Amino acid sequence: MLRLFVFLCLAVTCCFAAEGHQFCCSAEDRHIVEEQWEHLWGDTESSKIKIQFGRIILLKLAEAHPDVKPLFANVDIEHPEGGKFSAHTFRILNALDLAINLLDDPESLDEALNHLADQHKVRAGVKKVHFQKIGEILHESLAHVLNEYNSLSWKSCFKGILGKIASKLHD
Amino acid sequence: MKILIVLFACVVAFAFADDCGDLERLKVKSQWRRAYSHGHDREDFAQAIWRAIFAQAPDARQLFTRVHGDDTKNPAFIAHALRVLGGLDITINLLDQDEALKAELAHLERQHKGRSIPDSYFEAFKTALLHVLPAQLGRCWDREAWSHCFDLIAHGIEGH
Repeated sequence: MLRLFVFLCLAVTCCFAAEGHQFCCSAEDRHIVEEQWEHLWGDTESSKIKIQFGRIILLKLAEAHPDVKPLFANVDIEHPEGGKFSAHTFRILNALDLAINLLDDPESLDEALNHLADQHKVRAGVKKVHFQKIGEILHESLAHVLNEYNSLSWKSCFKGILGKIASKLHD
Repeated sequence: MKILIVLFACVVAFAFADDCGDLERLKVKSQWRRAYSHGHDREDFAQAIWRAIFAQAPDARQLFTRVHGDDTKNPAFIAHALRVLGGLDITINLLDQDEALKAELAHLERQHKGRSIPDSYFEAFKTALLHVLPAQLGRCWDREAWSHCFDLIAHGIEGH
């Protein structure tokens, strides 16, 4: 019990010690996330997994927050199996892929996330709560598709990634 | 009759030779999977492609001032280079999913429209890619297949 307490204290101190824009995603966490993520895309047909996975995440988001549905109208969310929506889910999954593969290069990651933040800022109606929900859905879903899923590492890294993408939204 | 068959075979072979056929698409997809890699290797791959582009078309750097094209090691440029490869990754992976491929090419065409990118820059991209790929892949790569499928993608983005 004492050991756990000391560990928790250390963990908390670690997080607070990090600088303002840094997040609690250590080098070890990054490696774990990169490695586990890579397991999903080893196959030539990974594109189909990407599309399906992305589709599930977006549809779950739309289910939890119906106000996002109109935001995806121009990518034809009404026909989630169609080409437009499939290409869109691929784009989103590839943005996550980009972020994960840049975890080892924080400066470039920052630039990449900044760009994604700009792309979402101009889409009126996109809210921070949507990103919180995406985070939740992502963790639930990844735990299902990955045999090895270290939720602590993923959560600590994705808190930073999603937080940064949503950082330019007003509400 | 024999001559006709031979002739027909030639015509078929010719027809297949010029476009990005079904089998070529599968080949390109799987070769890309290996070349694209991940993490730092992917960053190096992207760097190599962009340096090869700028070596051929130094003027093209002007299009990338917003993302620090003057210095390919700049974090903003690395992020950009990986975004571009990400777009290429999507189109290559969708080569065997017609409807989604069309949608993605239309999306990329919109993003490139109005930036007045001459066709020669797309050619420079192709030359760069076709040089860097074999360096990544070694012997197991099919230049013809890549050439055909790259053209299909580039023409989709150029919109003609």
